[in-house]
Amino acid sequence: MSQYLFYLATIIVYGAVDAMACLALNFEFGFAGISNFGFIIFQSAGAYAAAVLSMPAAATSNGGFQQYVLGLSLPWPFPWIGAALAGGLLALPFVFLVGKRLRGDFAAVGLLVSAVLLNVLVKDYVPLLNGDAGISIVPAPFQSFWDPQGLGYQFVYGAVAVVLTVLVYFLLKRITESPYGRSLRAMRDNDIVADSLGKNLRLQRTVTLVVGGMVAGLSGAILVGFISLWAPGAWGYAETIVLFAAIIVGGAGNHKGAVLGAILVPLAFEEVTRFIPPLANPALVPALQWVAIGLLIILFLWFRPNGILPERRRFLSGNPKSAEVPVPTGGESDALIKLGNLDELNFRQLLRLEETANDNRVILSTQGLTKSFHGVTVVSDVTIAVHQGRVTGLIGPNGAGKSTTLAMLAGTLPSSGGQIFYEGRDITNVPSNQRASLGLVRTFQLASEFKKLTVLENLVSAIPKQSGDSFWGAMRGRRHWGREDKENIERAMEILGGFGLEQYADAYAGGLSGGQRRLVEIMRAMLAEPKVLLLDEPMAGVHPNLAHKIGDQLTRLAEGGMTILMVEHELSIMDAFCDPVIVLAEGRVLAQGTMAELRLNSEVVEAYLVG
Amino acid sequence: MSVELSKKGLVLTTVNLSAGYDGRAIVSEIAVEATPGKVVSIVGPNGSGKSTLLKSLVGVVQVLEGKVTVGDQDITNLPPEEIAKIGVGYVPQIDDVFPPLSVKENLEIGGYLLNRREIPERIEAVLEVFPKLRNMMTRKAGKLSGGERKMLAMGRVLMLSPSVLVLDEPTANLAPMVATQLLEEYVRGFADHGSTVLLVEQRAKSALRISDWTYVLGGGRVVLSGAPKELEQNPLFVESFLGGGTRH
Amino acid sequence: MSSFGFGLITAAVLAIATVGFTMQFAVTNVLNLAYGSVMINSAFVSYYLNIHGVTPWVSLFGGVFTGAVASWALNRFIFTPFQRRNLAPITVVIVALGVDLVGTFGLQAIVGGGYVSFHQSPGKEFHFLDMYFSALQLVILAICVVVLGLIHWILKYTRLGKAMRATSANPNLARNSGVKIQWVISTTWLISGALCGLAGTVFAMNTGVFEATSAQLYIVLLLAAMFLGGPGEPYGAMFGALTIGLATEISAAYINPQYKDVIAFLALLGMLTFRPYGIFGSEKTL
Repeated sequence: MSQYLFYLATIIVYGAVDAMACLALNFEFGFAGISNFGFIIFQSAGAYAAAVLSMPAAATSNGGFQQYVLGLSLPWPFPWIGAALAGGLLALPFVFLVGKRLRGDFAAVGLLVSAVLLNVLVKDYVPLLNGDAGISIVPAPFQSFWDPQGLGYQFVYGAVAVVLTVLVYFLLKRITESPYGRSLRAMRDNDIVADSLGKNLRLQRTVTLVVGGMVAGLSGAILVGFISLWAPGAWGYAETIVLFAAIIVGGAGNHKGAVLGAILVPLAFEEVTRFIPPLANPALVPALQWVAIGLLIILFLWFRPNGILPERRRFLSGNPKSAEVPVPTGGESDALIKLGNLDELNFRQLLRLEETANDNRVILSTQGLTKSFHGVTVVSDVTIAVHQGRVTGLIGPNGAGKSTTLAMLAGTLPSSGGQIFYEGRDITNVPSNQRASLGLVRTFQLASEFKKLTVLENLVSAIPKQSGDSFWGAMRGRRHWGREDKENIERAMEILGGFGLEQYADAYAGGLSGGQRRLVEIMRAMLAEPKVLLLDEPMAGVHPNLAHKIGDQLTRLAEGGMTILMVEHELSIMDAFCDPVIVLAEGRVLAQGTMAELRLNSEVVEAYLVG
Repeated sequence: MSVELSKKGLVLTTVNLSAGYDGRAIVSEIAVEATPGKVVSIVGPNGSGKSTLLKSLVGVVQVLEGKVTVGDQDITNLPPEEIAKIGVGYVPQIDDVFPPLSVKENLEIGGYLLNRREIPERIEAVLEVFPKLRNMMTRKAGKLSGGERKMLAMGRVLMLSPSVLVLDEPTANLAPMVATQLLEEYVRGFADHGSTVLLVEQRAKSALRISDWTYVLGGGRVVLSGAPKELEQNPLFVESFLGGGTRH
Repeated sequence: MSSFGFGLITAAVLAIATVGFTMQFAVTNVLNLAYGSVMINSAFVSYYLNIHGVTPWVSLFGGVFTGAVASWALNRFIFTPFQRRNLAPITVVIVALGVDLVGTFGLQAIVGGGYVSFHQSPGKEFHFLDMYFSALQLVILAICVVVLGLIHWILKYTRLGKAMRATSANPNLARNSGVKIQWVISTTWLISGALCGLAGTVFAMNTGVFEATSAQLYIVLLLAAMFLGGPGEPYGAMFGALTIGLATEISAAYINPQYKDVIAFLALLGMLTFRPYGIFGSEKTL
């Protein structure tokens, strides 16, 4: 009986450790979209840190048969705190790998390789952490007062582990259910767009890896305190794969899924094999375990890629019916999109527009802007000035460089030459997310909604300066950001209502029709509180009736002080809403004026009809 | 230009064609016809669906309704490889060459379906049409200038002696003089030698100059069609491009 | 100088492996992390033929054949179906990891965990300019030169090779030119799979004693060589393999030999961080 109880205590500790590790990895992968194939090294850093902090100096202990650094004999809880710190610090160098715009699979491979590299280094450089033999006789907390071999101790240890895991669960949940969590998920779904809405990708990824690393480190400390031994054999790169399998099975993007996966895969799975009678070939069982993990991954990703407990949808609108999306229809339905009471919307209030004197000053301009790709000059010496409070059009034949110019203005594309000025400042070298924070916001031509976020979440994610949209803001909890978030949601709902889409508030953005998604994009850009709105073919694929209604609203916005630069092909839109209109052809500015003036300009006519 | 460059043209027709992505139609109820020896152009403002229409003829975009026939063969929704075999040569607007392959290799891929022995002859024939390419046979296609690249793109298609030539905005990104030469000398030339030529162009005036028949697309449908001379006189024609001032 | 000789052998085996790996990436855009498991399985098939009395060359061919068929099947039954599903690229990589586990440890479950070695002696030792090569190693070098020359010939002079390069550069245009790209892709996996099998077998022969997990860490050297030369570039792969092979062995003469592979790791991390398109590539090629 008591043997059973000891086993139970062990299961509890292992379960807690695995759950904690899976929660951390899920946070990185399922919520923030970072495929940390090297995750195990963070847990391992924590285990080693806890060991070398709690053990006595190497030379003096036990006859000096182990070599390792430090050896500070610190009492609990310091080794565990140190372990968390170690895990967090280890994350910092990897931000360079992940923070840049590197393909997800390449970054993942880099992390995998780093795990292998560190394992080899620790194995081979013995003075560091005792090489392949690992560090043993790691003291358990309070072992001088209380026998760690005793049943009571072990159950208490297990209880502490579980409590810590529960705390981690709530901590991570606090982050992911906050506006900051929304920004992380947006980054996961479409990082370029998140960047264009002002999110600092590098910072978000740093925070994610550090937080995940700290939790992983803590889990390592808990483990090593219990089993008293930690060696390279325990943290080969394949251990990360087991945790990934756990998350895939349990459900990525869902904290409960992470815990469920931890219980099913690393725990139940490994333990089940204890009860299989020994077979002829002793190598068979662990090998079969690996085979089963591999099969689990393949089968789940094929049949149930979202896991047993998929990511939950966040219902923010308060309307129980709002999640249903009627069957997607053809393009004609866009004509039937009934906009709501758009004209009644108080844009100044909703979009928090500043009271600006509509003084027609130049708010955005370029000087000799140029872009070349491999010797082909796409935009050449473009000098334009955009006046505040006007809707300026940017037209030209295909390949004229309109979209490229807009991308350079927004910072999505770096320029090859020339300068860009915004509100009197040279912003040529300012990164795109900072430009968005300064009020220079763009939309995209192609579908750019955050697919796994609801329509409402898409909209609210764009609102700048949210007190919950930072790590510390999130940590302070709902009490800190809750009311502001509720107001933001109300504002978003009002705009949704104005555009006639409030019934889709809680639908996944990816399920809407083309015209509807276009509207969501425009609304999202508006909610980003731009001073200058850069629209990249906003009416493409939109029914003319709807396009004109949108145009009316843009005019209202401009009257209220917003500046709009719009790249468009539909010339009737230019007629109706844009003044002035700038014509680009073959990468150069050809002419500028009202559409009426341009129509009389033979050069322009030639460019459009002949070239 | 060698008369062997293209086989006798075939008639390309569409009947009540609707095409688009993900089940959503971008063009609807399109009926066009292109016959041998003639240049048929499709013009229209951007967003009117010209490119999508062309892509649906060559298997790149899905046809949702209606039919496409070449000669007496129904080619609706056939995969691009099959359509090439039937003799329809397609020059896309972008990504029109294989950049890491040399000019010669690009042409050789153009002749993929040919018998080994025929390839050198065909390359010779293509080089007679585009003599400038002769000095660049070993240069990588990615390093060519815009005009040279387009010539190579068209040369690749000519390798198969296509019965129908489908060109998507061949003059996009080309300097005006090069564009004019491309259209007047080459595109017109192909038709004059018996091919069926269907092209989409943004430079409507230039297209009209070399066309025998023109369709004007607007909002995914054919809004006007006729012989260039008639269209030029038609006030609706200019309006459909520059947008009528009163159209709301 | 003798380390230069070791470096050449390492480079030779690595080159065969990397060219195969990079070809798979070129046509399918997938980092086939299951490559190592195919290598070791091919080695074991060859080994079993060998210990049952089959002549070395035929055993070698057995390994090559295994690699070809296994890789072809991998693409046909795993990668292509998963890619059709429009999942994130990382998902397919995770699937590849799963396959690697099944392949490597499935093998271990069948053959056991012990070390084995081929029933052949390395042969006479040859001495050349301070470098020492066994007969076996010279044969490996020769095989490498012949095989890489063959690949070069295929890529540059045959219809299939041009179709392969066209397919990896612009699949849509290739289709419009009449190329049946599905067939080209399958054949690419057969050929690259043959390289994989060959690499695995000669790797095992050269290493002397090996077991089911011996190739697990080889993937790191592979990735380092591939990214140095540029992902998807066969000639870049040859360059990368030569560099990594020589660099690791020559460095072993100056630093603690245990750490020689660290050079490869650092090279890979450096390339991924600063130049993921390879030394010769540029942003556009990615």
